[in-house]
Amino acid sequence: MRRSFKEALASGEFLVTAEVVPQKGIDAGTLTPIIKDLNDVVDALSVPDNPRALMSMSACAISRLILENGGDAIMHVSCRDRNRIALQSDLLGAAFLGIRNILCINGDHVRFGDHIDAMPVYDLDSVQLLETVRSLTQGRDMAGQQLVGIPDFCVGTAANPEADPLPPQLLKFEKKVQFGIDFVQTHPVFNIDNLVPFVNQAREKGVKLIAGVRLLMAEEASSYKDGSYPGLFIPEDLLAEIEGIKVEKSVEIAAQLIKAMREKKLCDGVHISAPGYEPKIMDIIKAAGI
Amino acid sequence: MIVATRKPFTEIKDLVSGHRKILIVGCGTCVSVCLAGGEIEVSILASQLRIALGLEGDDVQIDEAIVERQCNREFLVLLGKKKNMTDYDVIVSMACGAGVQLLGDVYDQKPVVPALNTVFIGIEEGPGIWAERCQSCGNCVLGETGDICPITMCPKGLLNGPCSGSRHGRCEVNPEIECAWVKIYDRLAARGDLERISKVLPPRKNSRRAHPAVATHEAYKRRFVKDEKIV
Repeated sequence: MRRSFKEALASGEFLVTAEVVPQKGIDAGTLTPIIKDLNDVVDALSVPDNPRALMSMSACAISRLILENGGDAIMHVSCRDRNRIALQSDLLGAAFLGIRNILCINGDHVRFGDHIDAMPVYDLDSVQLLETVRSLTQGRDMAGQQLVGIPDFCVGTAANPEADPLPPQLLKFEKKVQFGIDFVQTHPVFNIDNLVPFVNQAREKGVKLIAGVRLLMAEEASSYKDGSYPGLFIPEDLLAEIEGIKVEKSVEIAAQLIKAMREKKLCDGVHISAPGYEPKIMDIIKAAGI
Repeated sequence: MIVATRKPFTEIKDLVSGHRKILIVGCGTCVSVCLAGGEIEVSILASQLRIALGLEGDDVQIDEAIVERQCNREFLVLLGKKKNMTDYDVIVSMACGAGVQLLGDVYDQKPVVPALNTVFIGIEEGPGIWAERCQSCGNCVLGETGDICPITMCPKGLLNGPCSGSRHGRCEVNPEIECAWVKIYDRLAARGDLERISKVLPPRKNSRRAHPAVATHEAYKRRFVKDEKIV
């Protein structure tokens, strides 16, 4: 039996996770073969929760599909769409379905999505959600009531080393790591030296840092510039470099980033995303030699 | 103060259509200051309605009035002494949502319709610009956050730091505005008081903003009842 993501984190080896985005609808026919292929080469598949506020099938359902296909899943839990009752309830449900790894995030604002009149909930923020998860794993809900059957989660959160200015981000990161989290998965990183303060803080607290790597496609360059992707900050020179390039070159850029981060020991693993181009994740992994 | 904006004219016209005697009531307080429902705005709306309904051949009577505060019952009672409220088929309130409702309570035999959309509690930022500053959450955290409200000024209402989308100190949801948490951080850093936001702020107490909320000043209430002058 393959090792769990938690065991992979504990192994000290360089980790690889990849992103699979749930589809809009209940036909997982396209996603399933991608999941099967990736399950063989990654430590876990990370499943976003209605990313960019675009309504899609629940991260919980796709996480379960990943488990049924022999892999391990990291289910994202966003504060955007659910109040504290729904968040706790869904976390218990996920644990009941065998999902063991969660990534607690605020979630992209509904303004970026396809339901712009939806209520942005944020009853809890990601820091408070981490505290809530810790309470659940200790056997109590937020109201202090005892649970019948206690979930055991491997807990992660997000950070963005490309955000500017960094000090407020680091202050928040410091708040997050105090809740005994296991890992942090960053937004896509391009200026790899920006990882330094985060990885230092993470290592001090025994938290593994998984750096985000994103396949940059020439045809999406204009969307990268216009702010359609919240939290995706690509340096000007890189934006110029990807103009008109073929996908093979995009793969190479991503692979080079991974190699450089690994060489400089700036992370404990990488999280690769290529929304809409998931089969290319295999090529990136091969090209990076991991 | 409470900030409101006028509804589109066609919406107001639809609300009064079919009525012949119309009273438009402005409010002399917040909505006067934000130029949405004061004396001049009442006059403009009255003229627009006279022209529009007149062009359609309706024989309408449109009267105008202004009260000092539509959210205060005494002023609405005074209005009834100046105008014969039973004469009108419909009352158009140019107050905030609270004023519209109290006018409806006091003169509940008549339909009272709103001419404004109440948008927020805010400040005057510059000539002709008003900006939201408070969500009346009943759980003020300004003492912890450098006098900047993260619930209002951050579109996500985050209580423990910025989201991951802040860049060049701007908000990811609206790059026109500064990131509230960057502002909070910078202000407290300048005061040498960052310790204040290093602790985790707990989840907000939504029970304190349960609707409809009521605030009571017990001492004033006792004096009011004892005095018996105003009842």
